[in-house]
Amino acid sequence: MGPLAPYEIISENTNFLLAFFIGIAFGWVLESSGFSSSRKLAGIFYGYDTVVLKVFFTGAITAMLGLLFMSLFGWVDLDLIYVNPTYLTSAILGGVIMGAGFIMGGFCPGTSFCGAAIGKIDAMVFIGGLFIGVYGFAFTYGWWEKLFFAKYLGEPKVSETLGMSDGLFGLFLIVAAIGMFVVAEWAEKKFPREEY
Amino acid sequence: MKPLKLLALFVIPMGIIIAAVPPDRVKHFRLTADELLQEAGAGVQFISPDVVADMLVQKDPSLRLIDVRTPEEFEAYSMPGAINVPLSNLLADEYTDILNQDAYMNVLYSNGSVYANQAWMIARQLGYENNYVLEGGLNYWFGNILSAQAPSQTSPNEEFALYDFRKSAAAALGGGGVVATEGSATAVKAAKPAVTSKAKKKPAGGC
Repeated sequence: MGPLAPYEIISENTNFLLAFFIGIAFGWVLESSGFSSSRKLAGIFYGYDTVVLKVFFTGAITAMLGLLFMSLFGWVDLDLIYVNPTYLTSAILGGVIMGAGFIMGGFCPGTSFCGAAIGKIDAMVFIGGLFIGVYGFAFTYGWWEKLFFAKYLGEPKVSETLGMSDGLFGLFLIVAAIGMFVVAEWAEKKFPREEY
Repeated sequence: MKPLKLLALFVIPMGIIIAAVPPDRVKHFRLTADELLQEAGAGVQFISPDVVADMLVQKDPSLRLIDVRTPEEFEAYSMPGAINVPLSNLLADEYTDILNQDAYMNVLYSNGSVYANQAWMIARQLGYENNYVLEGGLNYWFGNILSAQAPSQTSPNEEFALYDFRKSAAAALGGGGVVATEGSATAVKAAKPAVTSKAKKKPAGGC
């Protein structure tokens, strides 16, 4: 049965329609978790609010367990799941730029659209900055092209690189995530902030 | 109960279950019957004996010939550099690494192509790639490569080129067909003067 789109069980148009509905659901969940507030988002860097860490790691663990269990039941062919190719230099540089932008602006690209949707001006300015960055990169692409494609590693999985099975790595990730949540709760007690 | 404790209580046992499952059950690499039928019908697995002869003459290192007949037949005659993986024993552990790899181009052959095709279908259904079947098997190899037949005089140039290639390949490889090719070479040479004398006669007659 596998992933629906590569096996052509659903057409490409149905794929886009489902993506549209998933996107609406994603935005709704973000907004109701309070992710439109830039102070709440930036709290992970100062310690007083670690909701970002908890929500995203819970999402990652749910997706990982879901995929692994579905593969176990034979409902999904894991080899057909698209994995982003790893370009090491681009990943590290992009991460640094995005992290710096996140701390300064208090939004990441997805949550900035959430904030703009409820009318926040700083989210709209953030989106403007996003487009400046995108167009700037596109017009100066010639300078970055070699850097962009440097150090192509294929699509290595952490479990393959460490030489363990997918399921075992999943267990380690779950335990690590629970550990991080415990540390996060301790941090929230240690760096409280009255209002934000 | 605190949300974190609830989450941990649910998620950690799931993690233990998924870690304890042996990895083979978690991955699929078998072809469905539909896909196998498509590939077998299209004949993608066949490789022309001329291509194999060329690779052998060039000493192409990526070629690996696999004889799927019984060991007795393998001892009697085998193609240069071939290894023996008997069809009856195809799924033995020692041959898994030979069949399931992506470094060499495995060309399976048998006397005809029935057994080689059977071996290819089994290997392909398990998801192994880079296995091919020698078209026509050893029978075609002997009859048409090692003892290549000279084409008739009215054949197109391409057939003569193919015949020349097969002659030289046979001389480089088997040596079994050298006697036959020499005879046909002299036959070809003897034919040529007859053609030119006819051509000389024509103008004389016309004028």
